[in-house]
Amino acid sequence: MTVIEVAEAIKADVLVKGESCHKAVRHVVASDLMSDVLLVDEEDLLLLTSLASDQVLRTAQIVGAVGVILVNGKPMPSSMVNVANDLRMTLAICPLAKYDACVAVHAALNRA
Amino acid sequence: MSVVSQSPVARHVKTGAYFGVDNEPLVLLELIQRLKVRDVMTPKLVTVSRDAPMRAAQELMRKKKISGIPVEENGRFFGLVSIDDIIRALGGGYIDDPCSRHMTTKLVVLEDDMPLSFALRYFDRYSYGRFPVLNRDQRLVGIICQRDINRVLLVELTSELNRLESASGQNVMRDGSSNIYVLREFPICKYDFESAGKAANQIKQILQEKKFPPKDIRRVAVAAYELEINLCVHSDGGVLSWQVANGRSEIIARDAGPGIEDVEWACRDGTSTASEWIRSLGFGAGMGLVNVKRVSDEFEITSKKGSGTTVKSVIQIGNTPP
Repeated sequence: MTVIEVAEAIKADVLVKGESCHKAVRHVVASDLMSDVLLVDEEDLLLLTSLASDQVLRTAQIVGAVGVILVNGKPMPSSMVNVANDLRMTLAICPLAKYDACVAVHAALNRA
Repeated sequence: MSVVSQSPVARHVKTGAYFGVDNEPLVLLELIQRLKVRDVMTPKLVTVSRDAPMRAAQELMRKKKISGIPVEENGRFFGLVSIDDIIRALGGGYIDDPCSRHMTTKLVVLEDDMPLSFALRYFDRYSYGRFPVLNRDQRLVGIICQRDINRVLLVELTSELNRLESASGQNVMRDGSSNIYVLREFPICKYDFESAGKAANQIKQILQEKKFPPKDIRRVAVAAYELEINLCVHSDGGVLSWQVANGRSEIIARDAGPGIEDVEWACRDGTSTASEWIRSLGFGAGMGLVNVKRVSDEFEITSKKGSGTTVKSVIQIGNTPP
């Protein structure tokens, strides 16, 4: 299942389609602590976070994430879309709380 | 594989790594952040006491060819006698009065541990030719004028260029047959979260263009990113240097302060001095150095409280890309 398909399944709005938007999601990481995300060694991961900052996208790019879904419908700085475009990182926003988003993503990946 | 024989400095000028968007030399910006006022000031001062006549100050200024003399007693700073004060004293007929009566007391001073960039801003903002420098105990420790700044910057720039040239020479000579050589330096400013991560992103892109194995690229990118964030969060600003040659990536993060009191403690899981604000940005969990060590084949850190910190991360990334 690609990050775009995951986003559609949990009713997230896709704001930027990045270069890995058609890659299969192989792992999901949910965290607001970028230090923890940097410790993950898995490939092709999808990052769920409620932290709305440019550093989320830079961290995602460093660990080779296929995309970022911002949960809790958080208002985000306008720069985030620009940074996502620059880094060619898929960015979506979802109104669900982080826990509910994790459950919904898990269900969607199991259905696939 | 091609060996880059061009001077690294010339190459940086070409690629823009040494110049900002407005063609500002970034190496110079880094220097004025890294150097402190104490590194540039003249510490050996010619001073006069409060009771000394203005004529004595005039005589000293003539002999030493200087345009201002601090009035000081036992390290305590009282004021400054400038050429203007002397001219007024000669015109007003009070050249034999004590300095304390006519010295300039409304002064702008600098502190010795301020970055040099502060001093440059002060010279821009005020029309003074020199600033007295005080230490934390408000003792007079030196004086700084624009000539001091020019002299030190020239010396530092020359040594920086020599260092780059010598680093280039060593790596190109090591293996002339199979070598990808890249050298980049990125100045990192304190609390500049808007830019933090850009250096690591660039490093990752370069390695991807050279088609190194993705797992190795990720290790280098993680080390660079963690060190870049550390410079941004914990230091007064510094430089992230990166070079890759003969399948060896070397990242060096160095700053000029404030230094780490207990390096061993700082390298333990979960220990951090980061503020709540830094934590709210998703960092400061105390995993940065631990993570750099984890992804590195060689890891070194040297630091001293009150001076700078240098962290080196070496990662083997294969002799040739696949």
